[in-house]
Amino acid sequence: MNKTFAIAVMCCAFGSANALEIKAYDTRLDVAPDGLAQAAATLQLAGCQAGRFKLPTGFTGIEHLQLEDAPSGVALKLVASKEQSTVEIELPENVPDEAKITFAFQVPGVLYEPKPEEGQKSTFPAGTRLLRHAFVNTQTTPVAKYSVQVRLPKETLVHGIREQLPKNKRKEFTPRVELDRFDGLQGARLQMAGLKQGDRTSMELEVVSEGRSLGWLLVGLVLCIGYLISFRDLVKPGDR
Amino acid sequence: MSREPEPANASAPTQNQRLMELLGMDKMALSSKARPPQSTSERWMRYLGFPAGIALFLLILYVPAGAGLSAAAQAGTACFALALVWWVTEPFPTYVTSLVLMFLLLVTRVATDKTIMYVLGMDVIWLNLLAFILSSMLVKVRLAKRMALWLILKFGKKASSALLAFLILQMFLAPLIPATAARTVMTLPLIIVVAAIYGATEETNNSFGRNIMLLNLCCISVLSSMTMTGSAANLIAVGLIQTMADQRVYYMDWVKVGTPLAVTTMLIMWIVGQKVLFRLPKAEQVPQLPGGMAIVETQYRDLGPLSRDEKKAIAIFSLVLALWMTDIFHMRWFGVEISAPFAALLGAVIVLLPRYGVLQWSEAEIPWHLLIFSAGAYAGGLALDDTGAAAWGVKALFGSMNLKGVPFGVAYTIIIAVMMYSHLLTTSKTVRTIIMLPIIITLAKALGWNPISLALPAALCIDWVVGLPISGKPNVIMFSTNQYSVVDNFKYGITTCTIGVLLLVLFAFTWFPWIGLTPNFWAVAP
Repeated sequence: MNKTFAIAVMCCAFGSANALEIKAYDTRLDVAPDGLAQAAATLQLAGCQAGRFKLPTGFTGIEHLQLEDAPSGVALKLVASKEQSTVEIELPENVPDEAKITFAFQVPGVLYEPKPEEGQKSTFPAGTRLLRHAFVNTQTTPVAKYSVQVRLPKETLVHGIREQLPKNKRKEFTPRVELDRFDGLQGARLQMAGLKQGDRTSMELEVVSEGRSLGWLLVGLVLCIGYLISFRDLVKPGDR
Repeated sequence: MSREPEPANASAPTQNQRLMELLGMDKMALSSKARPPQSTSERWMRYLGFPAGIALFLLILYVPAGAGLSAAAQAGTACFALALVWWVTEPFPTYVTSLVLMFLLLVTRVATDKTIMYVLGMDVIWLNLLAFILSSMLVKVRLAKRMALWLILKFGKKASSALLAFLILQMFLAPLIPATAARTVMTLPLIIVVAAIYGATEETNNSFGRNIMLLNLCCISVLSSMTMTGSAANLIAVGLIQTMADQRVYYMDWVKVGTPLAVTTMLIMWIVGQKVLFRLPKAEQVPQLPGGMAIVETQYRDLGPLSRDEKKAIAIFSLVLALWMTDIFHMRWFGVEISAPFAALLGAVIVLLPRYGVLQWSEAEIPWHLLIFSAGAYAGGLALDDTGAAAWGVKALFGSMNLKGVPFGVAYTIIIAVMMYSHLLTTSKTVRTIIMLPIIITLAKALGWNPISLALPAALCIDWVVGLPISGKPNVIMFSTNQYSVVDNFKYGITTCTIGVLLLVLFAFTWFPWIGLTPNFWAVAP
């Protein structure tokens, strides 16, 4: 009897997940200098029905999951995984057709120092750190709009975008990853529309400290002085 | 910048000797020698160009980065700016500057070593290399000489007619051969010989040389905008207008607006070039051959009937030309598209075939310095595109303008001018189109104008990449003739672009509203 009930509940959950529509899924990430990120995710749902569904987060090892804003009766549960942590969202019986759910969590080690594989040399200068985010839509409900906004710690900036996938299609004109300043701090936004089950999107940022080495200035000055002295015959009067 | 007049007869024997050599075309090679400075101001420019380049590099590198600009993009811009100053002022030969740029891109971590090195394997570099083999063939079998002499006999009695003949030739070739580099390499031997007949050689630059080189350069690029098939970037623009603005641009729609603009501009430049920019002294208005036109006639007669090798060369060149012209049918005919470099590669294979070919590898004049210069320019350009610096610059430029509520004509003029002169910032027409057209279409929608009224006139400016020797493939090839300076190129190119902008504004008052492309110039969006 219990088994039959469990199957019925699962079918119900599956059925409701199919009718469900994720209109927008936005995550804002504030990264601290030690690499720990404070995240706030906002989910806009349509066609809500009672049931459960597992929402992928695109991060591993997330902690301190906390529901911030949602219709009453909505419950969240963290499901850890080596590949991608998921949040199990339970929608109650009386959930409205359209709902907005906001939850917060922490992700340690979002910003990390790249370590070369054994026997390999590092290809990054000292002080470089990487930030990688890969989101795979593992559930049946398509995500109409997905975005992740990352705000980097103070006095750091993006040296380059090492990865931004998938490549833009012919009709997509907004770059997959855009750099910008958020509240005076540099950051990046990854965005993609129409993620079906199995679709993935990812970015990898190379982050460095703000401020350039004074070595360039020194070398430049030496070269300029050297050139102006050794090539002064170019403008010597009467010398042709 | 003006050059000092050359002594009348001091170099006469050398010049005549060089002229006859050029006319013989046996030693026609694009020199890798650095062009000597020709005036005091040019010498000062060279002297100060080096520190000026470094100063600009340091300034861009150390200034706080703008929002949305990565550190690599900022460093890439700094490297490109340094190279640009050095290419213009020439403290070193241009190819040395290219090598410096490639090294800087690596040490500032703008691009990886592989990305930089792979540029030398790009299709454009291959096309240049293979086209030079074909060009060497034309020179060796004396077909180029025959064509040049014929051209001079028919149209070359006066300098202005010779220039006009080239304008008409380029106008005829532009719709047939979409590859601008191919058109350049095809006509370059003729241009060099005709220039030599009017006394313009690598050693003895003159106004006619500057006029013929730069007129051809501008014709090759600008006349590509006569048709929508004139370049791949034009087709991308048409695609973007269709996808983003949901409006179809047909072949004749483009011809109606593109052809009058391009042809009128080049006719104006034909006059402005010889009357204003590089005035032709009386001596340069007639062929400067010892013996005058009679020697041309004698030389032409001496060539006799077409030789077997000339006929072979015509056949090989026709095959390559046919492949270039029919590229849209290749998939249907062969199941594979034979791109422009591969069509040239096939031609080169036949040319170099033992017994059946007409050329040996040692006889092919391949200007490696030019290929290195191109590689550096492309590495720099790609770095600006890949790091997002070019896109950021364009967005920042448009974002800083508030065009809401201004009359259509004002917004139109600003957009056209930005589109026209933005070619100075990037080396790729395609990338520029992909960055700019979506912005222009979105802007038009936001301002309340029909997107095509701004996008199509802007698309007409895509091919006008004539401001600098690094702005396009033909520019790189033409510059290697050493017959004009970067400043000459800038002066002629910017004048061409400015005339284009003025004509586009004039058309927006007259022709464009009449055919229904644009609203009234002073109309304000509702």
